[in-house]
Amino acid sequence: MKDSVAVRRATHARSQHNASTRTWSPGRIGGGLVLAAWAVLFWFLFLSERDRLYLSTRTSWVVPMGAALLTTAAAGLIASARVRSPRAIGSRQAWVMGLMVLPVVVILAFPPATLGSFSAGKRPGFSSTEIDGSLADAESGPLTLVDVAAARFSKAGEQALARRAGEQVDFIGIVTRFADTKADEFLLTRYIITCCVADATTSLVRVVNVPPGKFQTNDWVEVKGPIYPLGKQVIVDATSVVEVARPATPYLSP
Amino acid sequence: MIDVAPSRPARDATARTVVVIVAVLLLTAGVLRILEPGRVAWVQAFLIVFGSLVVQAMPFVLLGAVASAAIEVFVPMNALERLGGLPGWLQLPAAAMAGVAFPICECGSVPVARRLAARGLSPSAAVTFMLAAPVLNPVVIASTFVAYRGRPSLWTMVVGRFALGMVVAMIVGWVIGGRSKEEVLRPRSDESNVALLEPAPPEARWRRLFLHTGNDFVFMGRYLLVGAAAAAMVQTFLPASFVSTLAGTPILDIAVMMGLATVLSLCSESDAFVAASFVQFGPAAQLAFLVTGPMIDLKLAALYAGTFRRGFLPMLVVTVFATTLVGTMWVMVAAG
Repeated sequence: MKDSVAVRRATHARSQHNASTRTWSPGRIGGGLVLAAWAVLFWFLFLSERDRLYLSTRTSWVVPMGAALLTTAAAGLIASARVRSPRAIGSRQAWVMGLMVLPVVVILAFPPATLGSFSAGKRPGFSSTEIDGSLADAESGPLTLVDVAAARFSKAGEQALARRAGEQVDFIGIVTRFADTKADEFLLTRYIITCCVADATTSLVRVVNVPPGKFQTNDWVEVKGPIYPLGKQVIVDATSVVEVARPATPYLSP
Repeated sequence: MIDVAPSRPARDATARTVVVIVAVLLLTAGVLRILEPGRVAWVQAFLIVFGSLVVQAMPFVLLGAVASAAIEVFVPMNALERLGGLPGWLQLPAAAMAGVAFPICECGSVPVARRLAARGLSPSAAVTFMLAAPVLNPVVIASTFVAYRGRPSLWTMVVGRFALGMVVAMIVGWVIGGRSKEEVLRPRSDESNVALLEPAPPEARWRRLFLHTGNDFVFMGRYLLVGAAAAAMVQTFLPASFVSTLAGTPILDIAVMMGLATVLSLCSESDAFVAASFVQFGPAAQLAFLVTGPMIDLKLAALYAGTFRRGFLPMLVVTVFATTLVGTMWVMVAAG
């Protein structure tokens, strides 16, 4: 009995000693800080609503979910960072961790911005003619740039849109000009994203009767006037063009 | 436990290294704020697309890392041995169907497959799981259903994606055959692996879970960054009109959509919405996009390069492209 008590005491003393000799592991601390940096980014995007500059409303739930997961992972890794025999990390490993933090720094430091007219010619036109509701939207209710873009990719859509020729529209988008664009015209562009900006497609309408020289490329403007669908081309005869601030949700979602 | 580095790094990081890294990061932030590179249109477009890709994908990378770590920590070895003990003809279908139970995207499935192979599952079954999981998992099937809801091709796309994805994954597994994990997996050296692991005595499970999660997150994340940068570069400069002119040519349109899926590097949870928007292309080409994308794209190529040996990627590309090309045409014939 005395022996077993002695053994227990010795084991307890040994475990106490081992526990007291735990020290911080540089690798685990580094990994925890990388996760924490990403967590900070996701919380920042979520709280500042800058996630709207990168994701669509369909997928914006990824940001709070990512923030919570990253925070948990960072806290867990740092909480488990005290070990008995820590190893130093290699120089290259430290640089890899720095590389992992670099996008966080870039996104945080990069001023808020959206795709501009530069990308208009490099993005496909949005089309969803087979999706239920697109034609119905083009046939009734206020027209949006999503309806206009979707309707232009089928005969039925074009016909539905054509029946609304002369109706007043109210569109917000960015001013785009190509080399052959006339001085009193521009292309009103709005990007449509389904998941993130990487899948952005364009909705373009030609705006005519614009005061020459008044609006610069990439300006956000609100255009009002009657719409005239002419086959693949849709024209808005501007009765009012006003410069506006960038909308809180700059990208449209179908 | 191939992740545990047995030896010390060649050169340890010093306090000076850390200071230099922090200085570089701060300098980058300062340069971005002062010079405002967004004034250059292509730089702005690149940074926005790159940012959107990493913001969307990084949580899924972490989810994959958690799933991978959970397998390492909680799945008993004998469970995997039972899967490996199935008759040979049943192993690949079983591995593919296991993908249904794992709601992880393609980035996350790579370390899981690596972990499975390291834990004793045959590499052919592990790779079959890796390719099938991002196509067959319930989240992807649901998103495909939502994207094609209301279209005549709805069930062709949903069922076709599930069935063809499973078949392609099994064919790749069959091509790998009886190769050992040493022949398929690239060894992780101490320097190539961000080894956060400590060669310490066994720890509590929760500590090991976070340890493996952090390790895999850093390991996979760096490849995602490289792939996202490449994809953003291509998307910034590739004119859409160039793609559209190819859409009307049979077979070529399928090849183009497979190539597009490779270049765009979208997450399998979200790619159906993008595929559905390309109505210039027929259902066969869109189906090819949906099957190929989760198996081969730019960011995955970087991940594969860091995970598998040199011959793996060319074999995968040839097999996936060939079987998908034939498979999509067959599905369209079967669907009338």
